[in-house]
Amino acid sequence: MNCLEFRRQLGVDPQSASPEFGEHRQQCARCAEAHAGALAFESSLRRALAVPAPAQLADSILLAHETVRQRDRRQYGRRAVLALAASLVLASGIGIYGHAQPLPVEAVGHLRDEAVVLTWTKLEPDSDVRVAFGMRGIALHDIPPGPYTFIGCCPMNKHLTVHLVVQGGSGPVSVIYVVDQRADAREDFHLAGWQGRSIPMGHGTLMLFAQDASRFDGLEQAWRAAIESPADNKLARS
Amino acid sequence: MNPVTFAVSSKQRQFDALVRSLSGDLFRYGYWLCGDEALAHDLVQETFLRAWRALDKLRDTAAAKAWLITILRREHARLYERKLPQFTDVDEIDVSDERDAQLPESAGEENLIRRAMRQLDVKYREPLLMQVLGGFSCEEIAQELNLTPAAVMTQLFRARQKLKTMLDGGAREGVVHELS
Repeated sequence: MNCLEFRRQLGVDPQSASPEFGEHRQQCARCAEAHAGALAFESSLRRALAVPAPAQLADSILLAHETVRQRDRRQYGRRAVLALAASLVLASGIGIYGHAQPLPVEAVGHLRDEAVVLTWTKLEPDSDVRVAFGMRGIALHDIPPGPYTFIGCCPMNKHLTVHLVVQGGSGPVSVIYVVDQRADAREDFHLAGWQGRSIPMGHGTLMLFAQDASRFDGLEQAWRAAIESPADNKLARS
Repeated sequence: MNPVTFAVSSKQRQFDALVRSLSGDLFRYGYWLCGDEALAHDLVQETFLRAWRALDKLRDTAAAKAWLITILRREHARLYERKLPQFTDVDEIDVSDERDAQLPESAGEENLIRRAMRQLDVKYREPLLMQVLGGFSCEEIAQELNLTPAAVMTQLFRARQKLKTMLDGGAREGVVHELS
């Protein structure tokens, strides 16, 4: 590399790490001096470009992101009614209704993905519970008492669900009703730090998750009354 | 275990980390690209919203900054390029520019460089931003701008020379060598 080539490279990238660039700098005092000047200018340039970002920029972006995700989920919920119909047609037509994982495992994965909803405190109107189940093609006989801080029609892998968070003195309880698969038997379980209960109910499965299972019995009773017909209830009690 | 802190998806964690670590750099890039703080804020926000949808495609986290800048550039071209007035003409710049005056180093050379940057034609300014703020190589800039590496080298050379010329009040007008 000669002086002209060095000066060209200096204008293109003063911080070039090429061996030829370094060697010439070692051999030519005038080019080394020019290099030092160029590095000083680069340093000033970097400082000049480093305008301060707005305070809370990252927080505002994350908030916007969460807002968009919520909106998308709601839109997905509406579209899912049609998707449910389509999936039922497929299932009845070609018999592909198998699922790889037990429902509680899939539900815990969903709860992890949706962990943020457990932090929400704004109360949702109880009447939206009826709306959400209506979107899944289920007419509730009653609305189990809240207060609810999250009501959503969520996809859970291949399943369609209604996902609720109901608040209480012992902490929030996540309620997931899987519309399209009925569990074989009622069971209590402990999974990934959660107390859980899976209950065949109506044509689907109701699952309850909380840190404290003390409210499960009351919630199960209320939800059975809401989802199953009186005839079904008699059957369940017998 | 507290369910609130139990787990957020790994994708969400990765996204949060990217926003927290790179939003400032992206804002600076956006600011020097469009010349407006509010638009730069919107650009960065839209960039991250788009990045979320494509986050699965990001295989190498070390390349995240360049990847996000690419998204930001496309957003800028899509949303703002046509309607934005470019930086204020040098003769119209108030010497007591409020933003610069608020900066501690405003009395120094950086203040003059900022003004010169605002004056620099976008075809010189953008490759320089990509190199200095984005850390792109000449080859990467060439690919991004759909130019040859030689053309990028020429633009980078000219960008620096024009900046220095403006800083010297025109005294340093010199020969610009074509780079091959």
